[in-house]
Amino acid sequence: MMEFAGEQVQGAVQAQGGENGASPAERRARQERRTALMLISPGVLWMALFMVLPLVMVIYVSFWTQTTFTVEPTLTVDSWVRFLTSPTYLASTWATVRIWAVVLAATLIIGYPVALFIGLMVRNQTLQTALLVVCIIPFWTSFLIRVIAWRPMLGTEGAINTILLKLGIIDTPLTTLLFSEFAVLVGMTQIYCVFMVGPITFMLSRIDPSVIEAARDLGAGFGRIFFKIILPLSLPGVIVGAIFVSVMVLGEFATAASLSGRKVNLLGNIIVSQVGSLKWAFASVAGVILTTIIAAVITVLLRIVNVRKEM
Amino acid sequence: MLSLNSVTKRYGAFTALDRLSVTIPDDAYVSLLGASGSGKTSLLRVIAGFEEPDSGTVSYDGKHLNGVAPHRRGIGFVFQNFALFPHLSVENNIAFGLRYREQEPVVDPADVRQRVADIVRLVGLEGLEARKVTAISGGQRQRVALARTLVTEPRMVLLDEPLGALDANLRERMCDELRAIRERLKVTFLHVTGSETEALLMGDTVAVLSAGSVAQIAPASSLFSAPLNADVARHLNAYNVLSGKAEGGHFHADGARFPLPDHPVPQDGAPVDVALRFDRISVVAADAAEPLDAVIPARFVASEFNGSSVLSFFRMDDGTLLQVVAHLSGPPPRSFESGALYKLAFDPRDVISFTERAA
Repeated sequence: MMEFAGEQVQGAVQAQGGENGASPAERRARQERRTALMLISPGVLWMALFMVLPLVMVIYVSFWTQTTFTVEPTLTVDSWVRFLTSPTYLASTWATVRIWAVVLAATLIIGYPVALFIGLMVRNQTLQTALLVVCIIPFWTSFLIRVIAWRPMLGTEGAINTILLKLGIIDTPLTTLLFSEFAVLVGMTQIYCVFMVGPITFMLSRIDPSVIEAARDLGAGFGRIFFKIILPLSLPGVIVGAIFVSVMVLGEFATAASLSGRKVNLLGNIIVSQVGSLKWAFASVAGVILTTIIAAVITVLLRIVNVRKEM
Repeated sequence: MLSLNSVTKRYGAFTALDRLSVTIPDDAYVSLLGASGSGKTSLLRVIAGFEEPDSGTVSYDGKHLNGVAPHRRGIGFVFQNFALFPHLSVENNIAFGLRYREQEPVVDPADVRQRVADIVRLVGLEGLEARKVTAISGGQRQRVALARTLVTEPRMVLLDEPLGALDANLRERMCDELRAIRERLKVTFLHVTGSETEALLMGDTVAVLSAGSVAQIAPASSLFSAPLNADVARHLNAYNVLSGKAEGGHFHADGARFPLPDHPVPQDGAPVDVALRFDRISVVAADAAEPLDAVIPARFVASEFNGSSVLSFFRMDDGTLLQVVAHLSGPPPRSFESGALYKLAFDPRDVISFTERAA
């Protein structure tokens, strides 16, 4: 027994000598660095192969020479010039930004009160979770079905027109409901609202109820408490929600394609149609511009609040 | 002067406050002693207005507070967990009430700064104004919570176990400071605690809350020396409480019989509770010959050494546990033999009897 203990001590001393006399703390730190590296390497590898590399490729291809049916690796700025001088493409860039801004505002205006209710009014955690699950029930069906479901709703003989006609509010069916920018905005707001509700609810449910009571006790009315306590404390949730919604809306093409009747062409739609007709260089230009817009939006949003510090 | 009149508050089938009536005087330090679950926090929440009573009235200087929102009552509340605004600095936490209250907010920034500086000096937070409240110690957070309430100049401050989250030596220091701050500001502090030492130390007046109503409210010293009923005596954690019957002017229970005091007059055969202070009992050997006025035979269980005193536990034959305190300033106490029989001797004049038994 004594001998065995002695061997262990000797082994430890040898190990220490083997690592150039590093202190136990240094060896522990080295070990932890190794573990961390092992944990992140699959993700880093994946991202490098399937995100960074393709991104670099897209930028490269955007400078290739495009002919009707082929694309050649001869560097030129033709595709860029064509995009930046065409009113059609600039208009669709503007439409993308405009629809993003409206949908972001709409999801925030509709989503925040819902989150306020679930996160702050409902104090039972089981019920909170149940209500959040209710919010994601639409996601049990496919994306396309959710989008197409708006057609019988908004169409000329759709539910809304029928109801308005029956109530005598209108005489002829509204034709602007479906196949218009309005339809795209409604469809996108409905689909992406839950991505706003989730993060805000999470932040609101972390507010200690006694903090709000304390503010009341100090004499503040509801408005002051909302703008000085509740809103600042939930702001990280708003930012995270806004990033989710922004990334998804800016890259959208399906909702616009199926609800606008080809009237609304977002950057996403341009990429799809250009790829469809094998215009790789031009599709790459649109891709680079879209990626730049998304990166700018995220940067601005992250500037508003230091999410890392607040979470 | 705050008055509660027959206030009842129920949570489902549980009655937290049961027809509670009490009057809290102006310019006083009142401590409210109660075990957990006695309705302490419910009482504070009803006074502050976070909750409305099911019946009964709350009034201040004769004016009804029922239905008045918390932010219009002028009553400050210091939360047990401090409830500081986590996104604001110490200074902005303290200034919150002044800037954002609905009634008469202080709009002049210089005025706000001056008042915050005054209160910061009063509670001893100088130099920490710009810190985030998440970056200061527990004791400092306690001071911020107190300053944040005091700066709004409430007519009354409710403190919900304000020292509960602090460690022992900090607690003692805060005790002194709380009393000093209150005396300087001349407002009423209502300090809720589950600790009898804290209640007696802090309060000019002590109220004992038991089963949802106030069992006794009296100056600290008279409450301690003359508890009104067995329940109050139990809360003070300084009395052995025995239940028995009165027989011929004597207390009678299994294994104990001794003379009862003349007041209140003992009725023969009536149930009676007696209270006997831990430190008024001396322990003598079972075979001691000297005549004694009153004794209870009991077996020694165990002792606890508390620094300046020794607390010993004895068990009577019927299982009742008795506590005896020997102060070490006197002659060194003998050590007792576990399981051995002793006589617990006392002066019958030290016995307090209660003829009306608390339900």
